[in-house]
Amino acid sequence: MEGGGPAAHSVCMVSDFFYPNMGGVESHVYQLSQCLIERGHKVLVVTHAYGHRKGVRYLTSGLKVYYLPLKVMYNQSTATTLFHSLPLLRYIFVRERVTIVHAHSSFSAMAHDALFHAKSMGLRTVFTDHSLFGFADVSSVLTNKLLTVSLCDTNHIICVSYTSKENTVLRAALDPRIVSVIPNAVDPTDFTPDPSRRDDSTITIVVVSRLVYRKGIDLLSGIIPELCQKYPELHFLVGGEGPKRIVLEEVRERYQLHDRVRLLGGLEHQDVRNVLVQGHIFLNTSLTEAFCMAIVEAASCGLQVVSTRVGGIPEVLPENLIILCEPSVKSLCDGLEKAIAQLRSGTLPSPETVHNEVKTFYTWRNVAERTEKVYDRVADEVVLPMKERLDRLMTHCGPVTGCIFAFFAVLNFLLLTFLRWMTPDSIIDVAIDATGPKGAWTKQYFFGKNRRVKEELPHS
Amino acid sequence: WKKVLYERQPFPDNYVDQRFLEELRKNVHARQYRYRAVVFQSGAVVQQLCSVCVFALTWWYMDAGMLSPQGLFGAALVSSLLGYVLFDAVDGGAGRWASGRTRWADLKSTLVFIAFTYGFSPVLKTLTESISTDTIYAMSALMLLGHLIFFDYGANAAIVSSTLSLNMALFASVCLASRLPRSLHAFVMVTFAMQIFALWPMLQKKLKARTPRCYVGVTVLFALAALAGLATVSSVGAVLFASLLLAVSCLCPYCLIRLQLLKDNIHGPWDEAEIKEDLSRFL
Repeated sequence: MEGGGPAAHSVCMVSDFFYPNMGGVESHVYQLSQCLIERGHKVLVVTHAYGHRKGVRYLTSGLKVYYLPLKVMYNQSTATTLFHSLPLLRYIFVRERVTIVHAHSSFSAMAHDALFHAKSMGLRTVFTDHSLFGFADVSSVLTNKLLTVSLCDTNHIICVSYTSKENTVLRAALDPRIVSVIPNAVDPTDFTPDPSRRDDSTITIVVVSRLVYRKGIDLLSGIIPELCQKYPELHFLVGGEGPKRIVLEEVRERYQLHDRVRLLGGLEHQDVRNVLVQGHIFLNTSLTEAFCMAIVEAASCGLQVVSTRVGGIPEVLPENLIILCEPSVKSLCDGLEKAIAQLRSGTLPSPETVHNEVKTFYTWRNVAERTEKVYDRVADEVVLPMKERLDRLMTHCGPVTGCIFAFFAVLNFLLLTFLRWMTPDSIIDVAIDATGPKGAWTKQYFFGKNRRVKEELPHS
Repeated sequence: WKKVLYERQPFPDNYVDQRFLEELRKNVHARQYRYRAVVFQSGAVVQQLCSVCVFALTWWYMDAGMLSPQGLFGAALVSSLLGYVLFDAVDGGAGRWASGRTRWADLKSTLVFIAFTYGFSPVLKTLTESISTDTIYAMSALMLLGHLIFFDYGANAAIVSSTLSLNMALFASVCLASRLPRSLHAFVMVTFAMQIFALWPMLQKKLKARTPRCYVGVTVLFALAALAGLATVSSVGAVLFASLLLAVSCLCPYCLIRLQLLKDNIHGPWDEAEIKEDLSRFL
């Protein structure tokens, strides 16, 4: 536990989204946890059960994952009652001697529940927001209100881009000084260029994204016929699955492009690189994006990136590596034509140069280092006592919502007091610290304490 | 300080720059309304309220035996013919020419409609005999309310459905017609409903587009006629209806304009981009 800066923290990452589910939040939680363990902190992950995957599991470097038996409601997010998860979460927080609760993703009900309980228990709280949200429709008005409630007494918030920070500050009416911007990262060793894999007699445009409306697949369905008619040597390679696949299939059918537009279907994360290196140009047509890992991954593989200018995308790559377009078929076609012209004239930098430039931009170690600073800062702060917390809720979240949630906070506290009376903290076992180089996971220690460790590992 | 993520900058991560939120825009799509324009547009709602009122009144008079079906049919026929001539006269026949519909086709559909309604009116008369009268009244009221809700007042909203609206009104008319004394009454009632709920709004729409002044005059006259008719049945009802019309045409536009000032809509780079092109041409 020593050697991790001034003080090692015991961090509990909470999110509904974790492996085996795949996505940006999932890999963020995993990679960040690994790097924090490497820096000497104790990290555990709490998520809900995925099918048969329930109970406690250990991942690389002894990262302990609790898959809790909570009911999934919608889109892998659990139902929230603000109370029912308290007994389980409290048990985990006490057992693991958690000092900081770090919740991820505003779509995750469990993350908000955990923040609520952690505040009742007097733990420090950090929240990472991974997504952008509008302000116009009813659903965003409601979710933004809930976010205001959830974040008004959270110690620190992390956003993945400056645009995301502006968005979150506005949505939750926060003081911008308690919001840090720490970008996502990609593992540059996973995304290395390989020019031998691509066919230089053609030009291949690669698209890797979920095929949904928000990713601008409708724009793609306009770009494909437009450019394929103009450039006979142009090929499209589309990786990903989703409801908009039918649109692309229709376009392919209508314009007889079966040999030039390949739809690969859903990709595993480890296959993404093999698809990327087959292309010359990467196209991203997203309509909204907080950070956009895909373009960094593509640039890391040495592709020229063409993307829409939405959300945080303009902040992600320097101008010489990306061609930004307006979200319209015409503008994106112009951008792609510019990229094709550069490719033909040979003025594009070589994949190797691009890779070497991009690999210095975003690393998980850097993310972990900056997150650690947030933890250090939070550890010095005081957690609001009950009275001040209620005041904050009532003054900050509006008269009606504020009072309702202040009431919930009181109920939550009473429930916690009842649980403490039922099973006092003192009789809850302390879990063995398995994480990190000094943890129980390393072999020596493992065999030494064989008997007790076995109890800890129901599913190894 | 630069708003980029790929460079390490000598500022802490929670640094707040001067340029924070500089791309924030407020009320980009908010429309500035003018009071007179809103009042003018509210005419459509007033007209429709009056239509429902006139329809209910006509039924009441028929039910009470104060209006003979022959008289109503004659009056409706004359006003329909007038409206028909006016419909073409207002735009000099341009609309008819554009749609390519002949007068013979109009006459044919009118004859078919009248023949079928007349033939089926005995059925309409006995259709709801087994249903209690209270249920009929409740259902009619509900349907007329639905008609008002779903009517196409010119707004571009998901709730608008002129088909549903017309169907609800006709359903109400069939319900009410079945409570009249004879099948001729039922026939005239349904025909009248068709005229006031289907044909009259079409003429209004054209009037509104072509001769706004005339439209205002027609609306005011129509509203006064409906009020006068209502006053002969119930003076309290007339007062209430008058206040409803005033509220819709004067108070509601005022509220809209006042509340518009409080609008605080925020836009920025985080908004989901809209696809403005028509992409169906590719498919």
